[in-house]
Amino acid sequence: MSEPAATLPPDGPPPGQKLTERPHPLTPFIRGWIVLLAVAFSFGRDYLPIGQEPRPLPPLEWIVAGVAAIAAISGAVGFVSWRFTRFVIDADELRIDTGALFRRSVRIAFDKVQSIDVVQPFAARMFGLAELQIDVGSSERSKLRYLQRGRAYALRDYLLARARGVQAEAVAHAPTDSLLVDLGADDEVLVRVSPQTLVLAAVTSHEFFGIVALGVVSAVAGLVFRQPWVLFALAIPTISMLFGFTVRRVAGQFNYTLSRRAHGLRVSRGLTSLTSQSLPPRRIQAVQLSQSPVWRRLGLYRIDIEVIGWGAVTDDENKTGVSTILMPAGTIEQVRVALGAIWPRADFESVELHRAPSRARWLHPLAQPFLRWGHDDRLVVSRHGWLVRRWQLVPHARVQSVRITQGPASRRLGLADLEFHTAGAQIDAHAAGLDAGQVLQRQAELLRLVHHLPGRDLSEPDPLPAGDGDGAANGGDDQAAGPETLRADQAEETISSTE
Amino acid sequence: MSDLFTPTAEWRRLPDRYAVVRRLGALLYNVATTIVVTLGVGLFVDWAWAAAAAAAGLAWTTWRVVRAGRWVRSFGYAEREQDLLITHGLWHKQLTAIPYGRMLSVTVESGPIDRVWGFARVELVTASAQSGGSIPGLTASEAAALRDRLITAGEAQALPL
Repeated sequence: MSEPAATLPPDGPPPGQKLTERPHPLTPFIRGWIVLLAVAFSFGRDYLPIGQEPRPLPPLEWIVAGVAAIAAISGAVGFVSWRFTRFVIDADELRIDTGALFRRSVRIAFDKVQSIDVVQPFAARMFGLAELQIDVGSSERSKLRYLQRGRAYALRDYLLARARGVQAEAVAHAPTDSLLVDLGADDEVLVRVSPQTLVLAAVTSHEFFGIVALGVVSAVAGLVFRQPWVLFALAIPTISMLFGFTVRRVAGQFNYTLSRRAHGLRVSRGLTSLTSQSLPPRRIQAVQLSQSPVWRRLGLYRIDIEVIGWGAVTDDENKTGVSTILMPAGTIEQVRVALGAIWPRADFESVELHRAPSRARWLHPLAQPFLRWGHDDRLVVSRHGWLVRRWQLVPHARVQSVRITQGPASRRLGLADLEFHTAGAQIDAHAAGLDAGQVLQRQAELLRLVHHLPGRDLSEPDPLPAGDGDGAANGGDDQAAGPETLRADQAEETISSTE
Repeated sequence: MSDLFTPTAEWRRLPDRYAVVRRLGALLYNVATTIVVTLGVGLFVDWAWAAAAAAAGLAWTTWRVVRAGRWVRSFGYAEREQDLLITHGLWHKQLTAIPYGRMLSVTVESGPIDRVWGFARVELVTASAQSGGSIPGLTASEAAALRDRLITAGEAQALPL
């Protein structure tokens, strides 16, 4: 690898000599706009006579003055924060300086960058701006907001390339014509989910029917107790919940696209705020496929993933725009493509599955016919669930510990459960209703597989042809240890040549 | 002996003295909780309910104190060549196997009651919060020795994350 990093003096040049950048000058306006929207929303709710008596209105001048003051203050704060924010992303370093009173300078090692998301909230999007979020695996993400969209994409591509140890020039991002997706000309689209499918999936999901059932049960209760007004009191919130749920699902995952480009996988989605999230396959700990009752007829599946450092992300997305939904809804072919993209060396369908013994019916009366579990040399696969069917896939390479559990009822029936612990507690991977006589042997097999992992991680694609730059130059046995080792080697090289 | 939760291995058990610590801990914790709940219910709801809460609290305390001895006898750990086995539980029995290679760190801790009897707790920490590789009731020297053995094994057999 070339070594511009090595030619630098260890301290780096004094600040000021270096070309630093500021975020886009419109940034304070957009941040002020968001504050203004929030204020308008909270005040507006009080003024609209929904449900309760409208409060007495203060005089109009007061309101205008108040809003103007808030806008001015937030604008001033935004301006100062923009004025003192500078960043450097060049061949040598990635540094972000912020803060007027408390100066803060964050410097991030290129090879520690885990993933980079480009988020475009609605207001920023109207001006063609985007926010860059840099994930280094800790809970706090560094954010750069707002940059011009093209610049954000270019920086993202550059940082991802550097994270892989490629000493690249800042790649010019292939221009994107569409506002709705983030796709360059050289991107390979793997899975795309149409809005129609999203709507269909949302209105046939078990969450949707759950809300309906809640409404129906309450309505019936109201009728039984001869309080017909309950019907009206319930109909409106139920319908608004259903509407809200559907809109959230569809808008959040609108135009969902999983694509592959030179430096990794990417998910882009969203209607009002477009999120483009890079996906680090090595950090995916476990995968869960799930299927609501109606989806079985439609042949739809949803994929959730558990990723180190993303924390517990709920169903939809967290405030940084990250979502642990790998695929909101798709057919089995799309599932195969998506799983093939993250784990090219594993095939969950070829894993031989064992049935649960028929006496497990006593413990799992409805799920027993569906209970299965099994493993091959890459994956543990467990199937369970009655209403919502789930397939849990855990690679041996990510299993932290294996536990046998047995409650009093299982003991009577000669059954036991197995738990597979991974880093992250979102997908609680386990296999239920195993024959107690064999479970110890199974545990031993799983442990043996954890200790004897195949040379290449299941998330690594087949070796690239030599000279492709992406680590293939190292060749031989070093390569089998994976990109981590490669990066560590390079880091050592950089350190030694600096000295 | 070899059944589902104690497969053939060199099992180590906890000293019976540890049951005393566990009883005392359960007693202090439960009595404190019961007093807080009883006062809360009594002041804000009704003293009749408070009496019920106190009775339930005492029953629960007695239950835990009585079971502590059996729980301590149910606990066992075994250091195998490549992994640590831990078993415990009376109704809900469990047997956890943690490969040494998954070790992130090993902690030794001892609370105030533990210290009076000279006990310490060793925990093998993995990337998973569910692993629960915690072994109580060791003497300070045993704990230090176990910690060093776990660290050595973990470093020697480190598995990629």
